[in-house]
Amino acid sequence: MKFSPICYVRKIEAKEMTEGSREMMIPLRLEEVSKQYGDKTAVDQIAFDVREGEIYGLLGANGAGKTTTMRMVLGLIYPDEGRISYSGKDYSEEVISQMGYLPEERGLYPKVKVCDQLTYLAQLKGMKRKDADRELKKWLEKFNVMEYYGKKVEELSKGNQQKIQFIAAVLHQPKILVLDEAFSGLDPVNVELLKATVKELRDNGTSIVFSTHRMEHVEELCQRITILHRSKTVLAGSIKEIKQSFPKEKIVLRTEQPIQGLEQIAGVRQVDSGEHGLTVHMDPIDAAQEVLQQALSQSAVHRFEIMEPTLNEIFIKAVGGEARE
Amino acid sequence: MNKFWTVLAFTVVNKFRTKSFIVTSLIIAVVLTIGLNAPYFIGKFQTDEAASVGVIEGSSELVPLLEQHVNDQEQTELVLVKVEDQGSLEENERVLKERIASGEMTGYLLFDETEELAFPTMTYKSEKTMDFGTVSQLQQALQVIKVQVVAPTLGLTTEQVSQINAPVVVNKVQISSGEGAGNVGDAGKTEGEIAVATGMVYVLVIVLFIGIMVSGQLIASEITAEKSSRVMEILVTSVSPLKQMFGKIFGMFIVGISQLLLLGAVVLVNLMLPHNQSMLTDMNLDLGSVGFLLIFYALLFYLMGFFLYAAMFAAVGSIVSRTEDLGQAVMPVTFLSMIGYFIAIFGISAPDSSLITVTSFIPFFSPFIMFLRVGLTDPAVWEVWLSIGLLAATIFVMGWLAAKIYRTGVLMYGKRPSLKELRRAMRAYKI
Repeated sequence: MKFSPICYVRKIEAKEMTEGSREMMIPLRLEEVSKQYGDKTAVDQIAFDVREGEIYGLLGANGAGKTTTMRMVLGLIYPDEGRISYSGKDYSEEVISQMGYLPEERGLYPKVKVCDQLTYLAQLKGMKRKDADRELKKWLEKFNVMEYYGKKVEELSKGNQQKIQFIAAVLHQPKILVLDEAFSGLDPVNVELLKATVKELRDNGTSIVFSTHRMEHVEELCQRITILHRSKTVLAGSIKEIKQSFPKEKIVLRTEQPIQGLEQIAGVRQVDSGEHGLTVHMDPIDAAQEVLQQALSQSAVHRFEIMEPTLNEIFIKAVGGEARE
Repeated sequence: MNKFWTVLAFTVVNKFRTKSFIVTSLIIAVVLTIGLNAPYFIGKFQTDEAASVGVIEGSSELVPLLEQHVNDQEQTELVLVKVEDQGSLEENERVLKERIASGEMTGYLLFDETEELAFPTMTYKSEKTMDFGTVSQLQQALQVIKVQVVAPTLGLTTEQVSQINAPVVVNKVQISSGEGAGNVGDAGKTEGEIAVATGMVYVLVIVLFIGIMVSGQLIASEITAEKSSRVMEILVTSVSPLKQMFGKIFGMFIVGISQLLLLGAVVLVNLMLPHNQSMLTDMNLDLGSVGFLLIFYALLFYLMGFFLYAAMFAAVGSIVSRTEDLGQAVMPVTFLSMIGYFIAIFGISAPDSSLITVTSFIPFFSPFIMFLRVGLTDPAVWEVWLSIGLLAATIFVMGWLAAKIYRTGVLMYGKRPSLKELRRAMRAYKI
């Protein structure tokens, strides 16, 4: 069967919110938003909403329209069609101070001291200098980098610059936070630190738009996602439901003795043997029990599991499937 | 409005803190100080050592007269070294050359053979190519001697000679015929005042040009730096591009004008030093004669020229993504200002030419050229204000256009967009 991404387009909304008052509560909502650049469509009819205290995943290959979507959310460019609303209201000066942005291409003034530029950026977001300074010290302490307060950015290592950049995005306590590749270029220890911080922000009610290529981060942090491909939404909804909607096609099997003859079972496409046992690819999955019977008849079975598709696999199916054509 | 001031303050404070800014200002101040005091010190170190000129004893009747004249002078800048006649010209020259080689004299004077009664022609021979000082000293001395020698033969007395020699005096005064811009003043300008005004205009045109160019380039490079370091991505999400651009321009204006004022103060203090004061008095230059109006116009045209070019530089800076590409991109703007500058420099010697009159109304040139006209000639008030009005209108249009380009430019990365791409992007961004 040839895979066509279009047939997977479905909107799986957890609950339709119809009441007007609930509508107001949604910090960020995109309704059928489109953007053209000349005759090229950069974003086509994208629609999603981010609730209070939610991390919403925005996925897509390079050039799929993520940056344009985020730029529209940030109010840098206006959508040609559709509407973006912030707690029910249109974009205004007021919204600016409630938004934080961590751009994919990081950048700070290299020759300006950390304290000076972060308080400057916070002031531009409408914060008082004193408050910004106090908040900054809190954050530096939290990240254990208090000694960078008076240092120039160019003197810091790349990882530490990332931390400072992250602080720049959240210092003014935004209600809506746009994180573009938040954890790139960080070592595992710092990834955990920032991940914990992002979760903390979520728990404090921040609405976060989270864009990344790292599926494991999405699986860990997001409840709902949108996958963009060539400016169109190919998948949207909660990760759980998306996964359920994809057929299970994989069995992991670990046995005492090597198993023979699995390939002969109808429905088995391929058998890979790896370090930790066998991976059996099925299409369809119905013959799973037969595989188990076959295995039990030859050896003791340590592990038998019908695997859900990983987000990575779903992404590649939705996006990469067509790209290979 | 609040954010505008935040941007402005950040620009100013950061610039003042940059090492390169402080160092450059200091270096310029030091160079100015040295330059202003150099004439005095050069005068000090230039020993008034008299030039020694060799003559052959008895080679002419003029030799004793010349000797007497030289001795009569209070400040002897010439010393005659008499050498005995060796008999032949070749011998004489050989001896004289030896003397030059040994450093006893810098050159020697030979009297050509002439008919009787006629004043002889002379040849001064020296190793130096540029020994004009000595030659003109000799000439002066010999001129006096000639009068002394010739006058009695014509039956003229010393008084008669000095009457003929007395120079004709024509005093030059620049006046205004009525409707002028007022820089000339009711009493008119004397020659000394005109000289001061010309010098002042010359200096101020240069300062105007450099001031505008340097700040303009700085604005462009700061904006490009913000873009290339990607800080721009955060800035544009925090503050509207308009406030950001004008905050930067006004901030740089404060930086530029305070630097100029500081350097102006350095110049003033140096000129106030007693030794420089006495030198100026010697040259009959009174800096106090510089009118208030000239300074007023200088400031006005600096201000307007600054904003016109700052807007253009900001627009150019915003469309370039990498600092390396900036130099090429600002070229057209630089050329435009350079054309104005060179016309102005030419105009100092011909301020009444029609080229100057015409270009003094063209906004991109008028900051330099109308200023020059106000300083050196007497343009009508309406001319000056028409020029200023045109300039102001252009600044307005340029500022508006620059803001549009800036809004688009800061979001565009990659290669420098062509005009067409820029227009298309403007339409796409709905700017």
